[in-house]
Amino acid sequence: MPKLALFLILIHFLPFLCTSFSPENPSSRRVLVLLDDLALKSSHSVYFKSLQSRGFELDFKLADDPKIGLQRYGQYLYDGLILFCPTTERFGGSIDLAAILDFVDSGHDLIIAADNNASDLIREIATECGVDFDEDPAAMVIDHTSYAVSETEGDHTLIASDDFIKSNVLLGSEKIEAPVLFQGIGHSLSPANSLVLKVLSASPSAYSANPKSKLSSPPSLTGSAISLVSILQARNNARILISGSLVMFSNRFFRSGVQKAGTPTKHEKSGNEQFLTELSKWVFHERGHLKAVNIQHHKDGEADEPSMYRINDDLVYSVEIYEWSGRSWEPYVADDVQVQFYMMSPYVLKNLSTDKKGRYFTAFKVPDVYGVFQFKVEYQRLGYTSLSLSKQIPVRPYRHNEYERFIPAAYPYYGAAFSMMAGFFIFTAVHLYNK
Amino acid sequence: MARSTSKDAQALLHSFRSAYAATPTNLKIIDLYVGFAVFTALIQIAYIAIVGSFPFNAFLSGLLSCIGTAVLAVCLRIQVNRENKEFKDLPPERAFADFVLCNLVLHLVIMNFLG
Repeated sequence: MPKLALFLILIHFLPFLCTSFSPENPSSRRVLVLLDDLALKSSHSVYFKSLQSRGFELDFKLADDPKIGLQRYGQYLYDGLILFCPTTERFGGSIDLAAILDFVDSGHDLIIAADNNASDLIREIATECGVDFDEDPAAMVIDHTSYAVSETEGDHTLIASDDFIKSNVLLGSEKIEAPVLFQGIGHSLSPANSLVLKVLSASPSAYSANPKSKLSSPPSLTGSAISLVSILQARNNARILISGSLVMFSNRFFRSGVQKAGTPTKHEKSGNEQFLTELSKWVFHERGHLKAVNIQHHKDGEADEPSMYRINDDLVYSVEIYEWSGRSWEPYVADDVQVQFYMMSPYVLKNLSTDKKGRYFTAFKVPDVYGVFQFKVEYQRLGYTSLSLSKQIPVRPYRHNEYERFIPAAYPYYGAAFSMMAGFFIFTAVHLYNK
Repeated sequence: MARSTSKDAQALLHSFRSAYAATPTNLKIIDLYVGFAVFTALIQIAYIAIVGSFPFNAFLSGLLSCIGTAVLAVCLRIQVNRENKEFKDLPPERAFADFVLCNLVLHLVIMNFLG
């Protein structure tokens, strides 16, 4: 009996679990952070605090904790996953490679940081996400012309990079003045993969090799093909951030000054904090997450949507697009959203004009072809979720009584026939009364 | 040789003109009517050569009205001409009645085919 009472009481808490993540509120709230070493909680506290101050609940666990799990009874317990555990060979609990991939496939976000002693498991997770770390386990990214100047003569594995991707939606609208400090392994992106992007590339003089041994053969990863930090936006709009250095997230790097070798300017603070904070905003859907609602189309002059159009009709199409700002849906403003009137190929392709309050609209004439068309909006822009809207509508030809009654090109023939009739009447009159 | 053919043509035209002057007035009226119909037909042919044959049924209808009118008028002329031995016994009123009825049928068909 007490068990039944307990069960009934607990059931009332069930609705609260469901309010945390939904398509109406796409910012992740609960994030599982897996660490190798709980000391990371304090050594990387600035980064974690920046996440927590934006409303995320971080759940810190050791990677081999036997009680961790991403889902229970088919429900996901977390909305995002941060893997700061580069040396973990096996995860504890119910997490493994397949579970992580299912997590991403169901639309959740992921941040992975590797390091120079990254385990095979972490490398495999990254490979599944489209990113290949250097196969040599001892290799690090070395750059002899773009390293960070420090008091001790190092082995130039601490590099200062400012080769950012140019995108306001990924990195925020403020320019990152100082270079970013990086020390770790590099990765390359498969050229066939269209979903991964290099956010921070190495300079053309960088290469990936073991700093402690002599180079026996030319390194396989060189130059700007080495990516230091990459992102992936999956087709289901899950976002993944992959970084080759865990120490770039640390408080030490956030607070240290940086001077790139060969440049005279010494920056007081490195660009790490701004770069990683802005990027985390993108990864957790606080920027660049679009939704399109309220697709409407109707004939020019009418208000409700017809079930069928006729050729050469004038119609108006409108859609509302909003962007999630982290707290609310703001109107999305852009001038390159296009709509196609498509049947096997687009017959009409028009730019939509916006009223700056999120409503995009345009008017055009149905082409002189009948069939079953679709209104298609395909919007894929770097850093934004992809919009793929389509609404089917049939188009019919003219009915027999919708053609023009008198064809203007045939007026001479009408004139000729009637003039013959008139001539006939006049001729009979003249012929009969002629003496 | 050339000069004689041109002189022959002139002599031919001269004899045609003097013979035509002797035809009765009612036949001349019918000839005028036929000329009007053929002229309208030529205008339509010139138009279709310029503009193209888009409403082809309208073209056929207009052309057929002109040619039908011309043909019926020529038949009337043959039957009404008093010098014509073949139709000596046919009263001209009967010929005119046939002409009117055939024209009615022609114009009925034309109006239907004109679109």
